[in-house]
Amino acid sequence: MNDKFSFKKGHRGRAIFLICNYMFLIALMICMTIPLLKVMVDSIDPTTYGIRLFPKKVDFSAYKHILSRSSLYRPLWISVYSTIVATVVGLLLTTLAGYVIIQREMPGHKLIVNSIMLTMLFSGGMIPTYLTIKTLGLMNNVMTCILPVCLSSYNIILMKSFFEGIPGTLYEAAELDGATPVGIFARIVLPLSKPALASIGLFIAVGMWNNYMNFVLYITDANKKNFQVKVRELILNDGLSGSSIDISEDMLKNAMVVIVVMPFLIIYPFLQKYFVKGVTIGAVKG
Amino acid sequence: MSSRNNEAVSSNDKMILSNKDKPLSVRLYKYRWMYLMYLPVFIVLLIFEYIPMVGIVIGFCNYTPFTTKPEFIGLKNFQVLFGSELFWRSFKNTLIISSVNIVLSLTTCVGLALLIDEIKTVWFRKIVQSIIYIPHFISWVVVASIFTMILSPTSGLINGFIEKLGGDSIYFLADEKWWRPMLWIIERWKGIGWGTIVYMAALTGVDQEMHEAATIDGANRWQRVMYITVPAISPTILVVFIMDLAKVLNIFEPVWVLQNAAVLSVSDVIGTYVYRIGITNAQYGMSTAAGLFRSVISVVLVTLANRASRKIRGEGILS
Repeated sequence: MNDKFSFKKGHRGRAIFLICNYMFLIALMICMTIPLLKVMVDSIDPTTYGIRLFPKKVDFSAYKHILSRSSLYRPLWISVYSTIVATVVGLLLTTLAGYVIIQREMPGHKLIVNSIMLTMLFSGGMIPTYLTIKTLGLMNNVMTCILPVCLSSYNIILMKSFFEGIPGTLYEAAELDGATPVGIFARIVLPLSKPALASIGLFIAVGMWNNYMNFVLYITDANKKNFQVKVRELILNDGLSGSSIDISEDMLKNAMVVIVVMPFLIIYPFLQKYFVKGVTIGAVKG
Repeated sequence: MSSRNNEAVSSNDKMILSNKDKPLSVRLYKYRWMYLMYLPVFIVLLIFEYIPMVGIVIGFCNYTPFTTKPEFIGLKNFQVLFGSELFWRSFKNTLIISSVNIVLSLTTCVGLALLIDEIKTVWFRKIVQSIIYIPHFISWVVVASIFTMILSPTSGLINGFIEKLGGDSIYFLADEKWWRPMLWIIERWKGIGWGTIVYMAALTGVDQEMHEAATIDGANRWQRVMYITVPAISPTILVVFIMDLAKVLNIFEPVWVLQNAAVLSVSDVIGTYVYRIGITNAQYGMSTAAGLFRSVISVVLVTLANRASRKIRGEGILS
């Protein structure tokens, strides 16, 4: 194979291609990062807005302002809280559902599987769901925004295919030792499923942190809006700085975007492989 | 109690009776914990999925917040809907926006995956992959906020450049000519990296021996890519395409967060139309009917997609 990098005859075309390819990918990486970099720079640079990718002055007053203002502090807390709850409850529900649908001999197995598949195919739609929530008196309840994120049929299928990979002899052995199904679930299935739990948990966490529509639809109480909704409101309405302070509007907007994105950027380098794994399990099996 | 006895009996006869032959009560009892474990899942599905599914009857009713008792009016909502120019406008916009999205996403992601696959320097490849995945995890709201600032006519980065080069600043997101291309570009920024993952996974399965054999036969690299690599990943490409096609009418959030009143004529899709007449104008019946129309088409598309997938790779998408 002519994989060797050289400008000698016969390798020249390959070498030129490789150089172009590297340059293209570097350019692509720059394009991907510029928007994020720009936001970060603008959040700490108080000099007037313009074309620059490095801060001239560094000033963290926008962050101080955001973290000290209770009207922004509260949505941030709602976001943190809902993300934690969604991850725990979501993993619980997903593993329970996944475990139940691998019980092939259980009476009603087909019905349960089909009823979960049905939700993948068809949904009542925005208005019927909204009216159901309203009629059941579940409006303005943060749990109403959390639960739909917790339970996705896609994640259940992912979990199920992972469980199916656990050797059946393990279950039988535990059953002979007198373990109850709940015991088997808690002591054998869950500990063996850590990689799947990590992938799915991360997807649920990111999904909840980024959730916006549920809070727009089901929350009318301003005290229960999450940070995403607040970011959107403030960026659209220019009502961020108020009259009492002199931090520029743009700095505050950018700082809010940075705060929303930062938690993910911090965990991402360490957990990237789990994110990718979640997709490839799904791509092969889903 | 009787089921307990049955279980005792059946455990004696274990050698003879397979599980399926036992009486229902025994089997139900055996799996009693499973039903309990499924209960919380069922309750959540009931509230957020099954009851709303029954709620589609609203689509056949005359129902607004002011109607005390919803009245069944048959297909009248659909008649009004299909006679409405705004509905067809949103239908047309959905098709245009989504189909371009699908084509762009397919070509850019496959192309990029092939280019990354050519990189044999492991660390460089890892850095590229890590960085291009990032935008996928940023919510549409935040993406919209970032690009609203970058594309801003007064203070944005892009218009800053245009003005420096002597041009006039363009209000990209409020201009009917520019809005759709901007959506497509932003969508690519967010999705191009993540979309490559499935293809990268497929590319690792390409038979290296075929490549070697082809090299011996004198095939150049371009020929090998076109005649070995691309055909090898084409089932994956097809499956992704089919799945995208099934979701063609579902586009909502990206459009909703980037949309504004000035560009409604080119940006209103079915999803945003349903939201506007349903939540903002509270025409519950009409809005449900529009949503139902979309769901039905989606179900048909998903079913067809599943059948196609089963034909192509012997396995359906919906397992």
